[in-house]
Amino acid sequence: MHTHPSYELKGKGKFPIREETKTFLLIHKKNPKNQTNHNPISNQNQVTTNKMTEGEGKRMNKKAKEKLVFWLFLVPALSSFILVVVVPFFMGVYYSMTDWTAVAGQQANWVGLGNYKNMFSDLAFRYSFLRTFLFTLLSVIAINAVALTLAFLVTREIRFKNFFRAGFFIPNLIGGLVLGYIWQFIFKSVVPSIGTLLGIEALEKVLILAEPNLALFGLIFAFTWQYAGYIMMIYVAALLNVPQELIEASQIDGANFIQRLRSITIPMIAQAFTITSFLTLVTSFKQYDIIVALTNGGPAAIYQGTTVNSTEMLAVHIYSVAFKYNNMAEGQARAIIFFIVLSVVSIGQVYYNKKKEVEM
Amino acid sequence: MHIILKLFYEKLFKLSGKRNHYTVIGRNKNEKIVNNNNGTCNGNSIICRLWENRDPKNLKAEFQSDRQPDIYVIEGMGGYNTWKSKLTPFENEEWMDLTTLEFAVDGQVYGFPVAVEAWGMAYNKDILEQAGVDPATLTSQAGYKAAFEKIDAMKGDLGLKSVVAMAAGPDMRWVTGLHNFNGYLSAGLEYGDTSVLDKLNSGEADVERLTEYADWVELLFAYADEAVLLTGNYDAQVGQFATGQAAFVHQGNWIDPWLTDNGVDFPMGFAPHASVYGEHNAIFIGAPSYYVLNSDSQNQEAAKAFLNFMATTEAGHNYMVNEAKMVPAFTNVTLVPDTPLSANVTEWLNKENGAYTWLQNDMPDGFGMGTIAPLYESYAKGDLDKAAFIAQLVGKIEEIK
Repeated sequence: MHTHPSYELKGKGKFPIREETKTFLLIHKKNPKNQTNHNPISNQNQVTTNKMTEGEGKRMNKKAKEKLVFWLFLVPALSSFILVVVVPFFMGVYYSMTDWTAVAGQQANWVGLGNYKNMFSDLAFRYSFLRTFLFTLLSVIAINAVALTLAFLVTREIRFKNFFRAGFFIPNLIGGLVLGYIWQFIFKSVVPSIGTLLGIEALEKVLILAEPNLALFGLIFAFTWQYAGYIMMIYVAALLNVPQELIEASQIDGANFIQRLRSITIPMIAQAFTITSFLTLVTSFKQYDIIVALTNGGPAAIYQGTTVNSTEMLAVHIYSVAFKYNNMAEGQARAIIFFIVLSVVSIGQVYYNKKKEVEM
Repeated sequence: MHIILKLFYEKLFKLSGKRNHYTVIGRNKNEKIVNNNNGTCNGNSIICRLWENRDPKNLKAEFQSDRQPDIYVIEGMGGYNTWKSKLTPFENEEWMDLTTLEFAVDGQVYGFPVAVEAWGMAYNKDILEQAGVDPATLTSQAGYKAAFEKIDAMKGDLGLKSVVAMAAGPDMRWVTGLHNFNGYLSAGLEYGDTSVLDKLNSGEADVERLTEYADWVELLFAYADEAVLLTGNYDAQVGQFATGQAAFVHQGNWIDPWLTDNGVDFPMGFAPHASVYGEHNAIFIGAPSYYVLNSDSQNQEAAKAFLNFMATTEAGHNYMVNEAKMVPAFTNVTLVPDTPLSANVTEWLNKENGAYTWLQNDMPDGFGMGTIAPLYESYAKGDLDKAAFIAQLVGKIEEIK
């Protein structure tokens, strides 16, 4: 069947595993005759068979040596991983259960689950949670819909299609902060000017960034503008890999566009869906820079009788608790919950999408 | 500000010369100065780090990273509570006799006042003159109401978009939650009176005072431009005043550099905030930030000598007034700033009882900008009516307990 570089994206054992690569390299050094065989697994078997004929003690010795080299190869990756990921993570978990202030030399006192209790009784946190889910849901839909549409357009036989592909991709190269300020200018100054020009009073008077739902819409709009081009590229790669013979066969059988889309194209690009929905989900959930630049968490909205910040998504909320309220430990506790929720949601999504993929 | 810091290094190197690495961390007052300002002096490397406005997180990182500064800046009790383990008090310094604005806790002096800052209702003298409004009548809510109505009626002739340049949007939480709210804490009280603040910090609200205060907020919002009020940023608000589209701006003398940079030269001055009922003849004046000594510093003597040099010599005064465009907090300074609002602050400073206290930095961290500022926005939009606005303010104060 077809093989193509882009299929490596789908995983399922196609990623070379680091340990195997190490062993592979090691074996090659000792058994030059194996160099043509590029399957690490069978290499290992061969080596084992070869060694069976040698003395027992020598074999043990060699195995121990191999093990040592294996771990030595692993040391740089493992130590940096432990140092910058594992240790800080558990330190973070510890700090979330103390009254840590981040002032050097000040002792952190154990408070148990106090920070977590505060978090769940904090209305601003609960509201931020709901808004983050809403924002994520809407932007995943918006970005994927726009990206897929663009991908369909730029994979058709049109003039300048590479120019369009590059053009749609370019906003992704602009930093979120810059982009946020640009869109702030558009929403505040350009939109009213267009209203004046066209004589539409509603457009002239509208304050997009002062109305909670419009501001959320504005955020999703700016974010889609930034990110859809990138996701489009993934879809383009997937669409180009849909076997032409299947399409042609269906055309001969008289399938129309919708039928082809439903029965051939969508199932064939299901792997791309796994990736794009993962990327959009995680990026939307963690969104910070565009929000800070475009809305700065505002505008204020009323939720359950209390004033809250309508676009203060979780990442912004955590920053605000840790730095504006100078409450490091509580911010840390919220970050832990943020981590857990994001992990669960994204693993669930990948698991669900994987089941829908078609094996080639 | 960076000029002062540079001077500081030069002085410090001459005085001690022990270490080849000095650090001061200050606040970036002139927003144009870049965050890193490195150079060399007398063969020593200079590392000057400034942090933006009221953001202490970089300072925490500096302390954690073993590059501790000898002198750094804190703001009020909030800063003291965070940093008290790293502070050492001043004793019998020369500058201490020359100021009344030093930062002291329990009789111990910890902070050298960086500069005097002040805000009131900054007004455009030309516009007020054309409208026939005498600034001397702006001493009470009734006085302001009459003036606002009069100017509002002549808006078209005067070329105004709105009477007041006021901002309560997400980018301007400090204007409402800190500066405007400070009127509730100190307006009409004797300088240094912290009774309302103390009540707030123990979770007690003065409902009557808040009701009077809400009238003031309502008045300001009623005569502001909606777009600037709800979505405006600093440039939008100050720009409205600077371009003559608003007669008043709710800001302080820190907008001077912005005005100078943009070639604004109409005459202006400050009128008092009528935050609560009664007559007001004072603007909010204070030293919001203080140089403090790092208790772990190896260069404490040199650092102290530098601060004395700043307060007692002509060169020091010249740097503070003419180079950094600040109003020094010392009585022996004879130089007068040439920028209009800062010059006006000096006038108010010399008036008897011409000052109300700055207390907004002594509220719990995040309370002003995070907790109560969004209420102003909701009130400005009409999501909250006046009664609900007052009730929510009371509720938030009571949550402090």
